[in-house]
Amino acid sequence: MNDAFLRLVHVTKRYGNREVVSDLSLDIAEGDIVALLGESGCGKTTTLRMIAGLETPDAGEVWIGGRCVAAEGRIVVPPNARGIGLVFQDLALWPHLTVAGNLGFVLASAKVPGRQRGERIAEALRLVRIEAHADAYPGKLSGGEQQRAAIARAIVGRPRLLLLDEPMSNLDIPLKSRLLSELAALQRSLGTTTVYITHDPAEAAALAHRVAMMQDGRIVETGTVEQLRRQLENRALLKV
Amino acid sequence: MKSSATEKQGIVAVLPSSRRVILAGAAVLFVALCLLPTLYMFGVSLTGPHGGLSTDNYRRLFMDARQRKLLLDSILVGAGAAALATCIGVPLGLLLARTDLPAKRLLRLLFVVPLVIPPYVLGLAWIYTGSSTGLIARIFGRDLLSAWTYSLTGAIIVLGTGFYPLSMLAMEAAARRMEGHLEEAALLAANPARVLWRITLPLIAPSITAAALIIFVLSLSEFGVPSLLRVPVFTTEVFTAFAALYDFGAATALAVPLLLVALIAGVAVMFVIGDRMITTRRSAYAGLLYALGHWKPAALAFLAVVLLATVALPLAVLARETGQLGRMIAAVQASGGAIANSLLLSGAGATLIVALSALLGYGMGRAPTRLRTMAELAFLVVFAVPGTVVGIGLIDLWNRPGLPGEIYKSPLIVLIGYLARFVPVAALILAANVRQTPLSLEEAAAVAGAPWPKAFGRIVLPQLRAGLLAAWVVAFIFAFGELGATVLVAPPGTSTLPVHIYTLIANAPSSEVAALALMQVGIVLMPLVVVGVFLRGEG
Repeated sequence: MNDAFLRLVHVTKRYGNREVVSDLSLDIAEGDIVALLGESGCGKTTTLRMIAGLETPDAGEVWIGGRCVAAEGRIVVPPNARGIGLVFQDLALWPHLTVAGNLGFVLASAKVPGRQRGERIAEALRLVRIEAHADAYPGKLSGGEQQRAAIARAIVGRPRLLLLDEPMSNLDIPLKSRLLSELAALQRSLGTTTVYITHDPAEAAALAHRVAMMQDGRIVETGTVEQLRRQLENRALLKV
Repeated sequence: MKSSATEKQGIVAVLPSSRRVILAGAAVLFVALCLLPTLYMFGVSLTGPHGGLSTDNYRRLFMDARQRKLLLDSILVGAGAAALATCIGVPLGLLLARTDLPAKRLLRLLFVVPLVIPPYVLGLAWIYTGSSTGLIARIFGRDLLSAWTYSLTGAIIVLGTGFYPLSMLAMEAAARRMEGHLEEAALLAANPARVLWRITLPLIAPSITAAALIIFVLSLSEFGVPSLLRVPVFTTEVFTAFAALYDFGAATALAVPLLLVALIAGVAVMFVIGDRMITTRRSAYAGLLYALGHWKPAALAFLAVVLLATVALPLAVLARETGQLGRMIAAVQASGGAIANSLLLSGAGATLIVALSALLGYGMGRAPTRLRTMAELAFLVVFAVPGTVVGIGLIDLWNRPGLPGEIYKSPLIVLIGYLARFVPVAALILAANVRQTPLSLEEAAAVAGAPWPKAFGRIVLPQLRAGLLAAWVVAFIFAFGELGATVLVAPPGTSTLPVHIYTLIANAPSSEVAALALMQVGIVLMPLVVVGVFLRGEG
């Protein structure tokens, strides 16, 4: 298992004396798409933030691509050197920059030469089908367009690891299912290792290869989507 | 029996009318007390020496090269003070909002001190430092700075160091309000320094600009500092035209360019803040907290220099000028009447201001967006009207036979002056507070059958406690330091402390003036300490 691309090793995070993530270990292979499934407050967002480097684990280690990025209660590799794309729940598009400007900031920060930037931005916007809105400000876009722009910003830097924190939670159901199937197709073509956070088993099933169920800061079940579905059904039967 | 639906309709139909009557009454009071003096002056400025519509006053004004220079100097003072205040206030606000400095609450309180000291007191301290008989001259045995002390640059420095807390507070509030995820998203791509420059500061820029414009307007309408430092600007010229030359027409016409500049700045503030407010809602994740690391000594040195230069130095100079405690006691005894007047009038004024502002702020907070924007603009412009202009407007309006004349001859006119100048600030503070309290609380009271005045008194006002206290303290501090209007309208025998000090400057020993100025600072610092203790409790 040591060839896993993303490894969380006995990771613990406390806020005050409340343990939000408890001794959590998880291995994710390169190219895998894993859904972290759990109710709100179960610690899944905190786990994601520790992978991204926005939170420091109090104990345990985080490894990405064979490199230790956080250990012994401190950040070893800062977020911007981890090769991560993250889509926030509230999208967090920079309101003072256009869509292209949002993507451009990522590329410029990664020191991508100016002439390549335009091409890369156009490519990313084409992938999520909002090339027509390149020069629009985020505030002028519809909810679905904002969603696509946020995904484009997360993939434009060609991250090795893509993190999505309930990115569909603010959308209505028809739009959500359309975007989900598009995202799944995008995943197949990019092949980026992905961690997708959701509280909705249907979303997890639509997108992920594997599912890890979280409860009270721990992973209580892992398996393929099929295995998990069968287990849930069994449990439901037992309760009846 | 009526159905519950019609009963509900009945409530909805009855309630707004009592609410509307009360709010309309407050609005009428605002127009009569705060707006009318200025509007009346504007009208007077358009009449000729023999009555009738005329632009004579303006022609005189703009034909005169001296007047053009006056306009330029006024704008220079305002712009210079705004620039200086921004340069000091923005780094301070950033340090307080976003770094791991210790004792930030205490620091914030200390750095607010220059704002509550009336500007003319800072001007006095500046003179006692740099004039031909001042501190510097005494230390070096030579007059090094006096030419520079009484100058436009001097006025800019004094006003800039007096108003930088506004910029600091605006910066800090904006940095705190900012959506934390916006910075975190950037942090995944860029290092913290780049995030600060390219994401954080551009997003906060509108608030910084708005604060700068407000400081510009406040400096432009300041009377005490340019008057003390002998810098001819519009506010002092208005005073001279009226008090020395009794030229009513000229005084009013002089006031109008100031009003226009204030109006332009007010529109600019609204434009700058505009719809960007939407993106700066309060977020679950606070913004980035930067560890100062090896920058800590530099940051602490910056804080120390600002604190020494803008708080410690002025107070120390005043204390030194006072000399002994005995002189202070003597001065306070000699001026006890003025001090008592000031306390009484400012306390009563602040209470009246908050009472009227609570209604106006409520009306504004609950008004539709466009109406609210217009009201905010009106309040900003009224607040920008210089004290001397308000003073002349009040004289113009109230000094006539009958009941107005009786009021004009009584201390009530000073209260009206306070209302005219400071209701807008208090109302803006309270409107912001009202918008943060959910409408559903009142609706619940209405559905329960409470008439609006009761719902307002029992449900809304208790929600606004902190805002009401803040508005009262701000109004008290402003009223206690008010000079421009009071110096014109205070009836004989009811001098306030600022007016008393202002008249003493020319013909009393500086030790007595300094003692009274210290006294003035001590009194305005008291509510600040109370607020500090109160906020500590709130967390």
